[in-house]
Amino acid sequence: MSAAATKSSRVAPPIPASAGIGLRAEHHREVIETRPAVGWLEVHSENYFGDGGAPLDYLEQARVHYPLSLHGVGLSLGSADELNTRHLQKLKALIDRFEPGLVSEHLSWCSVDGRYLNDLLPLPYTEEALRHFTQRVQQAQEFLGRELLIENPSSYLQYAHSTIPEWEFLSEVANRTGCGILLDVNNIYVSATNHGFDAAHYLRAIPVAKVREIHLAGFAVNRYPDGDMLIDTHGARVAGEVWTLYRQAIERLGAAPTLIEWDTDLPPLEVLLDEARQAEDILEAAHALVA
Amino acid sequence: MPSLHELQRGFAEGVFNPSAADFAQHIHPGRFPAERHFQVYRHNVFESLTGALRAVYPVVERLVGEGFFRYAADTYIGGHPPTSGNLHDFGGSFAEFLADFPPAGELVYLSDVAHLEWAWHQSFHAADGAPLSLTELAAIAPDRYDTIRFKLHPAARLLASPYPLLRIWQVNQPAFRDDMTVNLDQGGDKLLVMRRKQVEIELLGDGDYALLSAIAAGAVLACAAEQAIRTQSDYDLAAALGRHIGAGTLTGFTC
Repeated sequence: MSAAATKSSRVAPPIPASAGIGLRAEHHREVIETRPAVGWLEVHSENYFGDGGAPLDYLEQARVHYPLSLHGVGLSLGSADELNTRHLQKLKALIDRFEPGLVSEHLSWCSVDGRYLNDLLPLPYTEEALRHFTQRVQQAQEFLGRELLIENPSSYLQYAHSTIPEWEFLSEVANRTGCGILLDVNNIYVSATNHGFDAAHYLRAIPVAKVREIHLAGFAVNRYPDGDMLIDTHGARVAGEVWTLYRQAIERLGAAPTLIEWDTDLPPLEVLLDEARQAEDILEAAHALVA
Repeated sequence: MPSLHELQRGFAEGVFNPSAADFAQHIHPGRFPAERHFQVYRHNVFESLTGALRAVYPVVERLVGEGFFRYAADTYIGGHPPTSGNLHDFGGSFAEFLADFPPAGELVYLSDVAHLEWAWHQSFHAADGAPLSLTELAAIAPDRYDTIRFKLHPAARLLASPYPLLRIWQVNQPAFRDDMTVNLDQGGDKLLVMRRKQVEIELLGDGDYALLSAIAAGAVLACAAEQAIRTQSDYDLAAALGRHIGAGTLTGFTC
């Protein structure tokens, strides 16, 4: 099959304002064979950075039936290093091949001096970091020739010299670069709990017009004698408190594409679909309100 | 106040060389002691990188056990952190590391098993090769056969070991339910790792291994054939080429 024929047989790229699920290798076959009723799929871009073989074949087949969002975890936009051109080229090739409706990365860094830590590490929220991150997002958007979405990370520490609240930092990145915001409601909840700020206040401070996508996932709890620390594992169902926060977000934003993410202790596909249905119910209620 | 670069460098040092670094000074006094906040990241980094190694090296893990694998992975990660944001690139030097890792010294074949698993991993993600055009091959005049340079499929990898690697690999697959005895004195293996519908590991004869290795190194057919026949005097070159072209191991040629 030629590339052109492959592309013309696909559903259109735009991501609908409905619930989608994160597609992981363990579910590749089942998704293609059973074609579950979800609005769209999202994958980690880097999982398809290989040159060929089964992962890309599966993604081709899935893309025929679902709009696709590419979610990156390794571009390291916040790193003081130069942007990794090889990584950007791989991402660009993937975008050209699969025509994703959305492409996202994180408000974080994961490498320094050429060493990669493979984690979404927190930035200091300073004027220096804001200028730096803004410039990197602009550079990446120019290279890719499209809008990026930037996602708020979960965090487990705050820097002593940070001067800007995260919600202001993220909003300012969006204002200065024209990038969209991927609002991870679970991450807001996790960070708010870990650092003792008000999650609802965070939500209210995010510019409505910039939010293009929402993430939902489950966290784990590290219990200590002096309190709990929440860890964003993507390894459980969405917590009740996070559903509540999500309802508040949708009331404010209106219906937005919403992803159920699950990465560790991956359950049967049915569990992800059940979570997606719960999000869909909330989204439909929002649609009904508008109508 | 540290610059962004200084802060990130200190963070990475604090993760990879905790004894040498004091990163706590940069952490805002939060709900918990600074070290506990930072420890979450150290833990996440090592967990995710260990997980990546486990995914590529399941047979190595089975051979040494989970606890030892973790210990080896911790040591490896500290000295050989990833150099790319694509996790599939990580772990390529684990076999060399294990060869020089004294605690694993008694398992003489461990490093070769790791080489095999890395070859499998590379084959899985390698480019798709186009089939070789028999029409084009047939159009070549016989007096030019000697100068044909065949190309190996991008997903083909060749390995040789003094140990029975294939047997070791097979008896350590999760679904293996038979006699697990391995006779280390049975002799070594020459192997082709190749992705067809899925990644397969095949035993090669001496002649085939010599031929394909020479082709992989860019040799012309005359030279590759000479090496094959030198290693295996009864080597049937025509039959071998037919097999390797038919199976897709050879995907192209220049002449």
